[in-house]
Amino acid sequence: MRGISENRKTIPVWDGFVRLFHWGLVACIATAAVTGFLLGPYWIPVHVVGATLALGLILLRIIWGFSGGTYARFSSFVMGPFQVFGHFRDMLAGRESRYIGHNPLGGVMVLALLAVVIVLALSGAAVLGASAKAGPLAFALPYKESGWLREIHEALATGLLLLIALHIGGVVFESRRHRENLARAMVTGEKEHREGDVISAPRAGQLPQAIRKGAMWSGLVVVLIAGLSFLPVPRSPVADYNPLVAEECSACHMLYHPSLLPAKDWERITATLEDHYGEDASLDAESTAEIRDWLMANAAETADTRAANVFQLNPAEGVKSLTDTAFWRARHRGLSDAIFNSKAVRARSNCVACHEDAESGWFNPFEIEIP
Amino acid sequence: MKRIYLVLPAIMMLGSAGYAGNTTPQKLIAGFAAQAGTTPSAARGKAFFTGKHSGGKPETPSCLTCHTGNLKGIGHTRAGKEIAPMARSANPKRFTDSAKVAKWFRRNCKTVTGRECSAAEKADILAYLSSI
Repeated sequence: MRGISENRKTIPVWDGFVRLFHWGLVACIATAAVTGFLLGPYWIPVHVVGATLALGLILLRIIWGFSGGTYARFSSFVMGPFQVFGHFRDMLAGRESRYIGHNPLGGVMVLALLAVVIVLALSGAAVLGASAKAGPLAFALPYKESGWLREIHEALATGLLLLIALHIGGVVFESRRHRENLARAMVTGEKEHREGDVISAPRAGQLPQAIRKGAMWSGLVVVLIAGLSFLPVPRSPVADYNPLVAEECSACHMLYHPSLLPAKDWERITATLEDHYGEDASLDAESTAEIRDWLMANAAETADTRAANVFQLNPAEGVKSLTDTAFWRARHRGLSDAIFNSKAVRARSNCVACHEDAESGWFNPFEIEIP
Repeated sequence: MKRIYLVLPAIMMLGSAGYAGNTTPQKLIAGFAAQAGTTPSAARGKAFFTGKHSGGKPETPSCLTCHTGNLKGIGHTRAGKEIAPMARSANPKRFTDSAKVAKWFRRNCKTVTGRECSAAEKADILAYLSSI
C-alpha cells in the first residue's frame, strides 16, 4: 500500500458536501423517477418528497458553489463557450488536457442537470397545483391548465433521463480515457494528481458563511412554500353539507360530495331514488326536492377540483356510477379485488375507506391511506 | 383494539340517553297488529327476517344480506356503511321513531321482497327483533 501511494500522489478534490450532495441527489432523483414513471397515484407523496428534497439539495449546492472550496466553486468549472468548444475540439483530436475538477464539458453538464431538475420540480409543483389542487401553486392554476403542464413535466423528466445517460456516458468515457475511476473519486473525494493536469488555484471554503446563507435561503423557501400552500383555492368545493343531505345520503353509503357530478346527473339520480343502485332509497317529495336542489346548486359546475372536472355519468352507455368511468378505472388500475373486498373497504364505491378526505370532494393525493 | 369494544357499548348507551324518540316498540307492534287484526308472532318474524326471499333485487335476497346473521352486532350496507345492531337488546334506540321505522320498512321490504310488507309482517318482525 505504501509503495502505491508514494508513486501515485492523490489530492482531495470533492469535499464532503459535494459528495453528499451528489449521492443524495442520485437517491432523490431515483425515487422521483421510479414513483413518477412506474408507480400509481398512491405514490405521489413519495414522488413529491423526493423532488422537494432534490430542490433543497440544489439550493444548498448553489450556495456552496459560491462559498465552497476550490473545486466546489462554480468559478472552477463554469467556462465560456470558447473554452468549452476548444476543449471539445481538442477532445476530438485526442489532445485535450486532463482537468482534476470538472472539465469544461463536464461543467456544462453540471449546470444543465441542475437547471433541468429545478425546472422539472417547478413544473411538477404546477401539475400538482393545477390537477390535484395541492401544494404551493394550487391557488394559482385552474384545472384546465393541467394538460399542457403535465406534458411539459413529462418531457422534462424524459430529458433529464437523457442527460443522466449522457452524464454517465461522459464519466465512463473520461474514466477509460484517463485510466481512472471517476465514480469512485466521487465516493472517496480523492483523485490522482498527474503531471500536466489543469488545476485551480486553491481557495478555502467559507463554511460559516455558507451555513448562514443556507439557513437563510432554506428558511425563506420553506416559508414561501408553506405560505403559498395555505392560500385559498379558487372555486373550492362547498365545505358544509346541507343537514338533510348529510343525514339522508349517508344512511347507506359514504357522503358523495355534490362536486363529484354535474347537475344533470344529480337531477336524474334524485328523480330515480326508487331504484338507486339496486336499492329503494325513496324519500317523501319535500325531502327529495330539498336534497335535489342543494346537490344541483353545488354540483361539479361550481368547483375546480380534479373530481369536479373528470366525472360524468352516462347510463345509456353503461356508465352508471363513478366507478364505471374511464377515469376511475385508470386511476385504480393495479389495485386488487382483495383490497376492495377487504373488511376495511367492502365496496369500490366506498372511496372514504382509502381517501380520507373523500367526503370533502378534494381527493388530495396526500390523503390516501390504503388500509 | 380490545379497549374499543369495551368502550363502544358505553358510548352507544350515552348516545341513546339523550335520544328523544316518539314511540316505543310495544306501541308500534300493537299498532301494526291492530291494523292487521292478527296476533304478533316473534317466530313468524324470525322466519321472515332470516329467510330467503325472491322478487326483490337479486343482490339482496334476505334481510341478513346486510344485517348479517348476528343481529346484535354491526351490519354493513352493500356500499360498505355500518348499520347499527337490529336487536333491541343491543341497540335501545331501535324502533323508537315511527317515521324512521316507516321509511326503512318501505324501502327495505321492496328491496328484499319486491313489495311492501303487510302490517301483520311488520308486527311480527318488530316482535322478533324486540325479543332478541
